[in-house]
Amino acid sequence: MSVFDILANYHVAFLQGLGVTLQLCLVIWTSGILLGVLLGVTGANYPQSWGHFTRAMSFAFSAIPTLVVLFWLHYPAQAVFNVVIDPFYTASLTLSLVNIFGVGELVRQAVADFPSQYIIAGRVCGLKRRDLIARIQLPILFRQLLPGLMVQQVAMLHATLFASLISVEEIFRVSQRINSTIYRPIEIYTALALFFLAVCLPINLAAAYLKKRYTRDLSER
Amino acid sequence: MLEVQNLNFSYTDIKPILKGVNLKVSTGGITVLIGPSGCGKTTLLRCMSLLEEPQSGEVLVDDESFRFPLQKNKPFTPPWPKLTAVFQQLFLWPHLTLRENILLPARKRCNGNVEDELDALVEAFDMGEFINNYPNEASLGQRQRVALARALILKPNYLLLDEITSALDVEQIAKILAYLKTLRGKNIGIFIITHLLGFARHTADQILFMDGGEIAESGGPDILKNPQTERLFRFLSVIAAAS
Repeated sequence: MSVFDILANYHVAFLQGLGVTLQLCLVIWTSGILLGVLLGVTGANYPQSWGHFTRAMSFAFSAIPTLVVLFWLHYPAQAVFNVVIDPFYTASLTLSLVNIFGVGELVRQAVADFPSQYIIAGRVCGLKRRDLIARIQLPILFRQLLPGLMVQQVAMLHATLFASLISVEEIFRVSQRINSTIYRPIEIYTALALFFLAVCLPINLAAAYLKKRYTRDLSER
Repeated sequence: MLEVQNLNFSYTDIKPILKGVNLKVSTGGITVLIGPSGCGKTTLLRCMSLLEEPQSGEVLVDDESFRFPLQKNKPFTPPWPKLTAVFQQLFLWPHLTLRENILLPARKRCNGNVEDELDALVEAFDMGEFINNYPNEASLGQRQRVALARALILKPNYLLLDEITSALDVEQIAKILAYLKTLRGKNIGIFIITHLLGFARHTADQILFMDGGEIAESGGPDILKNPQTERLFRFLSVIAAAS
């Protein structure tokens, strides 16, 4: 059975799994970017409190495997509180936290390291605070952050695979189910790779467009 | 009148950078500050621009007084861009073209047709060939001209310039200095840090010599011919020997 046969026979299951993966991504990307940016800006403005907190949490989430955090938040939490939580919510929460602190640290560093001379130049030219932020700081930060943010979001897409291990019916779990039925791992995981390529392609195209539209080589000639 | 009274500044408590500096910059005149490297010239300019907070002293910009140390509950609103500065490092915004670098603050702060004023500056500073480039696509000399134009288009009452001709060739220096001379007698006070003694001699209304964080000697261009202090004499001798 070829990859295309598998896609033809199991496309409904694959698409259902892909739907769950994309739902997870939607939650993770939205919360990560919105709350992560907020956390990063707050961390840069209050380095002694929020800044340390962001750094510590970002370190913790990058050092501890996501899978471990996922297990902690799923099985022990259900046992302690004696409740049954839909694993989709647990996976969404866990991966969102990972993304929020990952994005938060990226943004915190970029804001903290922002060259103050550009602000000084704007101040002595009489630009108001809102103009400094909107016309100077944000465009430069956006250009700096864009590549890192894109890499982080693709990494989060890949991290959704872990959700399968707490029984979220996302695309990897669907692939495993199909494999347990027909045992064609190479073809099935190749089909899985095609789906990931299909999801990553528009992200990469969007990243390339934004990079071309908004970023430039700033090295001096 | 831009006036500095008894200004004291240090980055740490150990070594003072500015020690009781007093000076006046009048509108319509050109004041030149000279002095050896590391004597505190740039720090003085930053304090005069109200970008640093001196430990004590006062900066007066026309009828506005900024007394240091600042009172915590009193709002601190420096009169930018009525008082503006161009720094040695220029600080052009890298994401904007050179034209946009000039027009962004001008559009926010100026009335009237800033495009026409920009065209006049482009012609005066010979910037036509590169005005639509980005800062990283321009030479240091081109960027210096743009940084100066960005300040001039704002029509400041006081313009503080820190070594803005350091990367220009002789022809460009002559153009810029000729332009600055045309501003003399107009409603703008120019304060320039420079090592160009020739410019100071021929253009300045007032020359200040700074050494060790204090104004060691001041006066008209004559002080370059007949220095009254040993420190200025030595400084001029070193410059003469070097050139």
